[in-house]
Amino acid sequence: MYELFKNLGTWLVSGSQWSGPDGIAHRLAEHLQYSLLATLIAAAIGLPLGLLIGHTGKGTFLAINLASFGRALPTVGLVVLVFLAGGLSMLPVYVALVALAVPAIVTNTYAGMTAVDPDVKDAARGQGMRGRQVLLRVELPLALPLVLTGLRLALIQVVATATIAAYVSFGGLGRYVFDGLAQRDLVQVLGGAVLVAAVAVVLDLALSGLQRFLFRHRTA
Amino acid sequence: MNRRALLGGLFAAASVPALSACASGITSLDGQGDAAGGGGSSKGGVTIGTANFTENQVLGFLYAAVLKAAGVKVTVRPNLGTREIVIPALKGGDIDLLPEYQGALLNYLDPKATPTEEGAMQNALTLALPAGLQVLPYGTAEDSDAFVVTRETARKYGLASLADLKKQNGRLVIGAAPEVKKRRVGAVGLKDVYGAEFKEFKSLDSDGPLVKGALKKGDVDVANLFTTDTDIEAEDWVVLADPEHLIPSQHIVPLIADRKADDTVRKALARLGNVLTTADLTALNRQVDKDKKDPEDVADAYAEQHGLAK
Repeated sequence: MYELFKNLGTWLVSGSQWSGPDGIAHRLAEHLQYSLLATLIAAAIGLPLGLLIGHTGKGTFLAINLASFGRALPTVGLVVLVFLAGGLSMLPVYVALVALAVPAIVTNTYAGMTAVDPDVKDAARGQGMRGRQVLLRVELPLALPLVLTGLRLALIQVVATATIAAYVSFGGLGRYVFDGLAQRDLVQVLGGAVLVAAVAVVLDLALSGLQRFLFRHRTA
Repeated sequence: MNRRALLGGLFAAASVPALSACASGITSLDGQGDAAGGGGSSKGGVTIGTANFTENQVLGFLYAAVLKAAGVKVTVRPNLGTREIVIPALKGGDIDLLPEYQGALLNYLDPKATPTEEGAMQNALTLALPAGLQVLPYGTAEDSDAFVVTRETARKYGLASLADLKKQNGRLVIGAAPEVKKRRVGAVGLKDVYGAEFKEFKSLDSDGPLVKGALKKGDVDVANLFTTDTDIEAEDWVVLADPEHLIPSQHIVPLIADRKADDTVRKALARLGNVLTTADLTALNRQVDKDKKDPEDVADAYAEQHGLAK
C-alpha cells in the first residue's frame, strides 16, 4: 500500500508525466475544454428554461420530471446510444454531459425564481414594470445566487463525468483511468482519479468563493 | 464475450509457478501433449468447469456431451469466473476439466513465454503447467485475436494480410481496446513485425459495440476483434492473414487434472477437437448470444448432429 502511494506521488509530480500529447497538462486542458463547453451548452438550454418556468409558474411539473429523468439517465448508456446512431465523434460525449448538466441548472434556476418574495414581484408590477422588466430587474437578480449554485453544481458534475470521453477514444483525464484499467496499471488509474477529484474540488472551492465575494453584501 | 475476459481479475497477479518441471506433468513433448495415461481414471465421474463467457460455456457443455456419450459420469459447473478462480479450483480438485485457449493459458502461466505457433505453444504449455495438470491435444477450432477490415477497405487499399498494412503507412486508423496500444499483439507488434504504422490509434472496447460500430461506420479502418465473433461473417468483414505468426495461436485445448485423464476421456475429447471448427464454434456462439438458446441445448444438438453423441 505504501509502495502504491509512493508510486502515485512519483507519477503525479514527474516532469515527463506532465509534458507531451499524453501528458497531464494536455489532458487537463482537454478535460477542462470538454467540461466548460458542455456546461455552457447546458446553460444555454437550462437557464432560459428555468427562468421561463419560474417566471410564468407554468410547466413546473415538466421541470421536475425533466430533472429526475435527466438524473436517472445512465451516462455511459447514452454515450453508446448516440455513438451507435451517429458514429465516432465528440457528439455522444457532449450529448451525455449536457443531459447530465441541464437538470441541475433548470431546477436551481427554477428554485431561485420561486424563492423570490411574491410581495416584491407585486410591488414591481405596482410600479408599472412589465413582465420582462420584472424578470430581468427583480426576479433574476434576487434568484442569482441559486442560479449560480446550479451552474456550479452542473460544472462539478460534468468535470467528474467528463472521463467518459476516453471511453470513446478521446482525451481528457479519463484517458489515464481507462488506459490504466486496460493495461492493469493501478498507479495510472489512481493518478487519473486523483486528478479528476482535485480539479472538481478546486473548481468547487473557487466558484463558491467567487459566489461569496459577489454576494457579500446580501444577507441570505 | 471473449476469451480475453478470462485473463480476468483486474490486478490479481498470476501467482502460479511458471516452470514446475514435475514428473507427472510432463509426459510427452511431441507438440500434441499426448500424455500416456499416468494412472488417471474417469470412473468416479468428471466435473467440468467453465469460465464466465458464452463460448467457454458452450465448450464446457460440448465436453460434457461427448464424455457422457463415452459413458463417463459428468457434472458441469458453468460460469465459475476468471483464471484466477478456475485454475486454483482445478488444482484443488473442485473441478477436473476446463476448456482452455493455448495462448491465453500460456500467458497466464508464464507471461514471458514467446512461442506463438501452435505446436511450440503446446510444448511450452506442457512445461509451464503445475504438477497434476496437463493439456490434451488441441482442437481445430481457434478463438484468437484478429485484425479485421471491411470488404470495401480491403479492396480499396489492397489488404489481404498484415504485411500489406505497411504499404498504407500513415493512412489507416486502427480501433481496439486501450491495452492494445501497448501490447505486442497490437500496435507494438504490428510495427515491429510488419512495419505497419497507423495514422491514429483509437481506444475503444474489446470486440464490443464501440469498435464494431466504428468499423461499420468507417470511423476506423482496421479493428481488433476475435476470430469467433459472429459479426465477421455476418458483415462480410475480412480477417487479415498473419504470415509471421505475430498473433499467438489460441486453439482450444482441454486442461485436465492428471487424476482424471484416462484413455476414454482422451479419445472422446480428441474426436470433438477434430470435428469442431472455428466456424462451427462461431455458429454455436451465435445461437446462444443472438438466438438466446441455452448453451447446453446448443452443445447437445451439435454433438448429436456430428455423431459425437454416441
